[in-house]
Amino acid sequence: MTTKTEKEISTPVINVEHLAKSYGDINAVDDISFQVMPGEAFGMLGPNGAGKTTTVEIIEGLRTADSGRVSVLGLDVAIVPVKIKQRIGIQLQAPSLLPLVTVQEIIELFAGFYKRSIPADDILDMLALKDSRKVLVKNLSGGQQQRLSVAMALINDPDIAFLDEPTTGLDPQARRSLWSVIEDMRRKGKTVFLTTHYMEEAERLCDRVAIIDHGQIIAMDSPRELINTHFKESAIQFELNPAPPEVILQSFPGATQVIISDSEIIVYSDNIPATMSSILKYAEKVNLTEQLKDLYVREATLEDVFLKLTGRKIRE
Amino acid sequence: MKAFSKLLISDLKQFFRDRTALFFTFAFPIIFIFIFGWVFTGSGSVSYDIGLVKNEGSTVGEKISQMLHQIPIFETSEGEFEDKLKELEGGDLRAVVVIPDDIDTYIISGQTAEIEVYYDPAQTTSAQIILPVLRQSIDEVNRQITQQPILLHLTEKSIQAHDLRDIDYLVPGILAMSILFLGLFGSIVLVERREKKILKRFGATPLNRSTMVFSQVAYRLILALVQTLIIIGIAYLVFNVQMVGNWFLLLGLVMLGTLTFISIGYFAVARAKTTEGAMPIIQIIQFPMLFLSGIFFPVDFMPDFMRPIIAIIPLTYLGDAFRQVMVEATPLYPMSLNIAILGAWLVICMILAIKLFRWE
Repeated sequence: MTTKTEKEISTPVINVEHLAKSYGDINAVDDISFQVMPGEAFGMLGPNGAGKTTTVEIIEGLRTADSGRVSVLGLDVAIVPVKIKQRIGIQLQAPSLLPLVTVQEIIELFAGFYKRSIPADDILDMLALKDSRKVLVKNLSGGQQQRLSVAMALINDPDIAFLDEPTTGLDPQARRSLWSVIEDMRRKGKTVFLTTHYMEEAERLCDRVAIIDHGQIIAMDSPRELINTHFKESAIQFELNPAPPEVILQSFPGATQVIISDSEIIVYSDNIPATMSSILKYAEKVNLTEQLKDLYVREATLEDVFLKLTGRKIRE
Repeated sequence: MKAFSKLLISDLKQFFRDRTALFFTFAFPIIFIFIFGWVFTGSGSVSYDIGLVKNEGSTVGEKISQMLHQIPIFETSEGEFEDKLKELEGGDLRAVVVIPDDIDTYIISGQTAEIEVYYDPAQTTSAQIILPVLRQSIDEVNRQITQQPILLHLTEKSIQAHDLRDIDYLVPGILAMSILFLGLFGSIVLVERREKKILKRFGATPLNRSTMVFSQVAYRLILALVQTLIIIGIAYLVFNVQMVGNWFLLLGLVMLGTLTFISIGYFAVARAKTTEGAMPIIQIIQFPMLFLSGIFFPVDFMPDFMRPIIAIIPLTYLGDAFRQVMVEATPLYPMSLNIAILGAWLVICMILAIKLFRWE
């Protein structure tokens, strides 16, 4: 038993090799390879339609790949999907719940599908659903349904929990309470596979992040490393209408990269004071000081990494 | 087994929380029985208003008048020709019988007298019921006058052990209809769950698909049995329709019929993407079956080219089987053929459903 555990620690729980899947002409997943280690919180980050859900659902055994190999917990997904499903928990992007059953009933129903499950009470406690245990699913709020959907993914005390955009559509408070559930799982040594398009979420929750765009992984590392690798500089963000020409911004001392979307402008700089004063001088010169709004300096984030790598904002 | 029973219990709970489903499964067939029951049990007091125009002094005219007054389904009133014709045109009368003024003279001299009947062909019952009865009555009077002896007499003998009333014919039909609905609409649940990604959610667990389908089928079978008992119970208590046959055979047929229509439904919607897309498909299957299967009225009057359709639709056989076992109606087909054809539909549609059904 001990030797087996040791062995599991040293081998990845998810191993994806050259995975590809296309729908017609669109390469939804285009030659993706990565590994997830036991106890790791792994995030897949990318805009809608980047191929996150397709990738996750192939790993979960819900879709078949065109080519490539996927193993989960040392088992080949294409060969023993049911055996794997006993040991993983899946939260789908859409809540997908039966409308006419109560919270407690649906938890107990799904618990009945697994060999191993944790008591409904514990799960309801964990996701703050105890007060609504007797409420029919159709009468739950969007946030409650989302939490219930996560609860259903944890009912079998899974070795790996797959959460596909678990906080989409939640208000900030509900999002934070779900984050603490995920942090709890990390503390317990569970592996968490998370997809999200919230950078903040990935930065806070994930040990490692793969940034995915057009079906390909364009960068993969810990959030800190990703930022440090791509940015020695900080970001100056402001609004100015009309936006100055890019060439002019590029010519400011210290400016390394400029991104303009509508009237929102980000100038990355390794010399903040010099760049900042150039911006202010420019605004004065073109008589737009009144139009200069929300000017602030911040550290680079994952969002900036994505922007730098793709030239696009993640939610466009 | 644990997953199967949990799913089954969950489905039953959901059913009893769904008012629409409850209504269509239980209340709807009962309402049907009451409506048909009242319509048909009232048929004894139906009468047709007949007008009679005759000369007061006529002996033969009086004889015919007496004869018409004796016929229970006729309400005969006498009057002037013009008035009676107006009443017929106005729809107050179904027919007007006109006896010529000089009918006695004709008969004494051995000549044939013309008795005229006016009727409105738009009123179909006039032609179908009133005219033959009138013809028979006039013949009877004719025979009395001519004093011809009766040489041929027709005695009607029913081959039924007991007389079948219309309601007796109908109750097995209503049961067959309920089974049809229950079976076919089972597929809508599956399409709805596929559309709402609930099937996908089930697929994300170790639950296997056959367990899920079997629990759905078991759930439908339970509903079918409950429905059967309710229909038979109401029909017996309210309209005294007795279930005379073998209960085991009846319940076996109920299960066979339910399974057959479930598999037809699953096959029919195998590729339907949405509930909105699946509903018309189910209705296209259901409506011709209701009208061509003879569960509500005999289909003898259907044109010849419809025969092959009538002979192929499974509801024809389920209806016939129910009538045989419930009220011992005269078989249209041998019971074994009924069972064989339902079984063939079941097997073929099940295979097609398994081959064609899209889970996502």
